[in-house]
Amino acid sequence: MNVLITGAAGGLGRAIANECGSRGYNLFLTDINEDGLLCIKRGLERQFDIVVATAACDLTNAESVDRMLDIIDKHGIRFDMLINVAGLDYEGGFMKREREDLVKIVLLNNAATLRITHAIIKRRRSGKPFYIVFVSSLASMFPMPLKATYAASKRFLLDFATSLRQELKREDVNILTLCPGGMVTTQEAICGIKAQGFWGNATTNPLDCVARNTIDRVLAGKSIYVPGKLNRVLSFLGKIIPRSWVAAVIYLRWGKVTGNHSVS
Amino acid sequence: MNTVVITGASSGIGLEIARALTGRGCNVLGIARSEANCNRAKERLLSENPDAKIVFFVADLMQQREVIRVADEISEYLNEKCNGGLYALINNAGCVRSWYMTTEEGYEQQFALNHLAGFLLTYKLLPALRKVNGRVIMTGSESHKGIRVRWDNVMLCRRYNPLTAYKQSKLCNILFAKGLNDRYAATGLRAYVVDPGLVNTDIGNKETGGLVSFIWSLRKRHGVPPTVPAKTFAFLCDQKTLPEGLYYYLGKEKKYSKQVTSENANRLFELSERLCGIRYEKAGMA
Repeated sequence: MNVLITGAAGGLGRAIANECGSRGYNLFLTDINEDGLLCIKRGLERQFDIVVATAACDLTNAESVDRMLDIIDKHGIRFDMLINVAGLDYEGGFMKREREDLVKIVLLNNAATLRITHAIIKRRRSGKPFYIVFVSSLASMFPMPLKATYAASKRFLLDFATSLRQELKREDVNILTLCPGGMVTTQEAICGIKAQGFWGNATTNPLDCVARNTIDRVLAGKSIYVPGKLNRVLSFLGKIIPRSWVAAVIYLRWGKVTGNHSVS
Repeated sequence: MNTVVITGASSGIGLEIARALTGRGCNVLGIARSEANCNRAKERLLSENPDAKIVFFVADLMQQREVIRVADEISEYLNEKCNGGLYALINNAGCVRSWYMTTEEGYEQQFALNHLAGFLLTYKLLPALRKVNGRVIMTGSESHKGIRVRWDNVMLCRRYNPLTAYKQSKLCNILFAKGLNDRYAATGLRAYVVDPGLVNTDIGNKETGGLVSFIWSLRKRHGVPPTVPAKTFAFLCDQKTLPEGLYYYLGKEKKYSKQVTSENANRLFELSERLCGIRYEKAGMA
């Protein structure tokens, strides 16, 4: 099994790479952070008997992606699975963020994900099933004031993945959308979860379980994975409560967390 | 004048060991993660004892490249100012995590800091330690008992349990000390593990959350101040001839887990060498 993972040097990327490594899959890892890539490559090769290839790449830059695809084509690598982890968010209300930072959220979370997904489906191994994981978010279930761009970008992924799944079903492509709550990947993440108090802790998903279950589920042909019972209840509520009400409740909650009520 | 390296020296038990050893006239090289905490600790030690010989090195020992960098800096320092010899290395830095978190290498953080960091640092400083028949002392814990090393899943990346990860990392400390003694005791270097007992420090409140942090806040109140375990470290540093025990509590030898065998120690040594990309030199080659 050859697996390409984007955002592989980050917390979730590393956890998924470890999970794939423990299953004996060969990995092609990419991330914008070249040093981080070399570290995780070293760690994986020391732990597991697998082949790990890496290429640092800025997925928002078409030329950078072309260079990576050239490497892939030069070695004739063909893939069985693509895991789209790369994504980003900047904290703060819409008018409090830098203009270009906001655009970057959509450029990476959406535009770049489309670019790499199209390129890697073209490079799937023929005659074998192909698997794709999109890392969306629990945020994709709701309109989220104060995280508006991020939540909408994750909603894009959820809807896109659901449609693409239907389009490519006959070609033996299995697509899973992962919609996790908060995950403890960095020191900042811990602070963020603490700041949210009870709800932060309650919606947090353990990284080890998420990584394991994600691979299990995509292999089983599942379409969506919302980790955690409470998160599944919340995402169900998001479907039945009018969206404007949801937005109002979330605005109150995030306003308290971020101290961001007074939008200038 | 004896030179001692202490990791995690800016707070808790590490700071108390630094205080005790500078008080005895040792030349202490402390390692800690935060520059601000290092400066504060240094000021405190110097304000109490203006003659204290204390230098701090800033490094996040969780990351292997940082261990290697700081070890090179310390080696250089030892060569310049201490004739290249290191009297004692105290692998004290440790952490508790509530959640499965990984280092840059994708290693589980408690295993990476509590065991691998010390394993790699000791390897890097081994020539300096062997030069003066030095000693390596680990901050262990009574919680190393009642557990085995999960050889098939040592990073616990399936069904992570914070306490299991901590206990296992503390068992690894003793196994590592045992492995060092098996290899080098005959040539004059010895390793020890100190059980600090229940100590009132912030270890369980740093970068943890929820239940772990709450339980530790209640539990640490019953702990002794870190000056108590520091005495045992100082005791082991004071001995002119190296004592032959392995596990010490309140300055006395203590029984350790039956899991501490040469077979397990060798297995951990080989695994850790692979995870650090190193190979310890044969004892005869000093």
